[in-house]
Amino acid sequence: MSDYNADSQLDCSGLNCPLPVLKTKKAMDDLASGQVLKMVSTDPGSLNDIAAWVKRTGNELLESIAEDGHFTFYLKKS
Amino acid sequence: MSTTPDSFTADKLFSDLSGKVDFHLLDVRNEDDFDCFRVEGPFPIQMSNIPYFDFMEEQDTSVSKVPKNMPIKIVCAKEGSAQYVAEILASQGFSDVSFLSGGIKLWGELLTPVRVNSKNDKYDLYQFIRPGKGCLSYGVIYGGEMAIIDPSRNLHFYRNFAETHGAVIAEVIETHSHADHLSGGLELCFSQETEMMAHENDFPDSPFNYRRLEDGETKTLCKDGPEMTLFHTPGHTEGSITCLIDGRYLITGDTLFIISAGRPDLGGKAEKWVYDLYETLLDKYTQYPGDAEVLPAHYVTWKEADESGKFAAPLKRLWNENPIFSLSSENEFVQFIIDNMRESPEVYIDIKKVNRGLVQVTEQEADIMDLGKNECAASHYDSD
Repeated sequence: MSDYNADSQLDCSGLNCPLPVLKTKKAMDDLASGQVLKMVSTDPGSLNDIAAWVKRTGNELLESIAEDGHFTFYLKKS
Repeated sequence: MSTTPDSFTADKLFSDLSGKVDFHLLDVRNEDDFDCFRVEGPFPIQMSNIPYFDFMEEQDTSVSKVPKNMPIKIVCAKEGSAQYVAEILASQGFSDVSFLSGGIKLWGELLTPVRVNSKNDKYDLYQFIRPGKGCLSYGVIYGGEMAIIDPSRNLHFYRNFAETHGAVIAEVIETHSHADHLSGGLELCFSQETEMMAHENDFPDSPFNYRRLEDGETKTLCKDGPEMTLFHTPGHTEGSITCLIDGRYLITGDTLFIISAGRPDLGGKAEKWVYDLYETLLDKYTQYPGDAEVLPAHYVTWKEADESGKFAAPLKRLWNENPIFSLSSENEFVQFIIDNMRESPEVYIDIKKVNRGLVQVTEQEADIMDLGKNECAASHYDSD
């Protein structure tokens, strides 16, 4: 497992798009620059969507892990 | 006042695309997914891609990119994001906004039937077009039975279609082991709903029962329906077969398409299979009845469709017009195939295993594997 010190955690299990990205955006808005959010989703669409959203917003995707139907993202606020 | 956006079905989207209804198609998936696979139809589509998260980040700028004064149809992966954007547009004064029910997945599974033979014939022959994939499957109906050739995974459609025509699915024929899409034949076979027939070279290690088809064999479809003669035509795969139905219709599988032929390099043995394909096309195919209508398992572009919207052409016309038949020597043929080779999608390896019954996948995994346009043709043409 990755050992990023997440400053905030968000569980989007069971939610379908647009909710995982929408909730991630809101959670990231509350973070200060350099802080890390750990987000967990069960929607496979999140993989490409979070990667594309990060590119769009300038935030950084430290790592994404796909395991047992769960997708875990570590996101660093720009 | 804004109105609540309605949804539309994949079927309705296809009929609007076919009927040249004026609208703008807004795809709100991320750019990579859009680049991989998008909606196609018989005519050019007015379409744009603005990811749904752009509407979250910069709503006004994103909304301003959407054409005004025309109906907007929105598609996304599953439905939720399209509905989300539809509601934003409706609240911004767009009066005619709707979203695809079930998302691009249902578009990818959509099958749409076209009658191939005359209504006066004693049997019905249908071509089932899968616009989301470029796949073609076939149904022969006679005496309360339906035989399906190369069924897609959407068995719900075939069962309904059979029922509305007073028939049950009685036989399934696989022209070969498919690499580009998940076959519905497997489920029919496992559920013992019907008997599957195929050439054993393509299913040597499959754990299910199927009837092995022989080169030159003749059988009657749907009990005493039309007669079908089978030819072993290796090249695209080792066990590819071609079926001549009623002496008039040549079901070519992935061996011959209207403007191309099936690539021999999806099985990892292109060096051998390319020579099989040469012999199949330039030797065997030049001896089949020229008046027979070629009915392939794929199309590359909608330009191949005839005026009735189906993908069919007399074999003798293809002898003259399909570039494959102008390659007169073996060397020229091999060079053409090599020049047109390109990487095959990685997922094809897994799809083949599933289709042979060697690996089982969940419904969700199957949905992901089965999405996207086929890459089966030896020569690549722009789909625009």
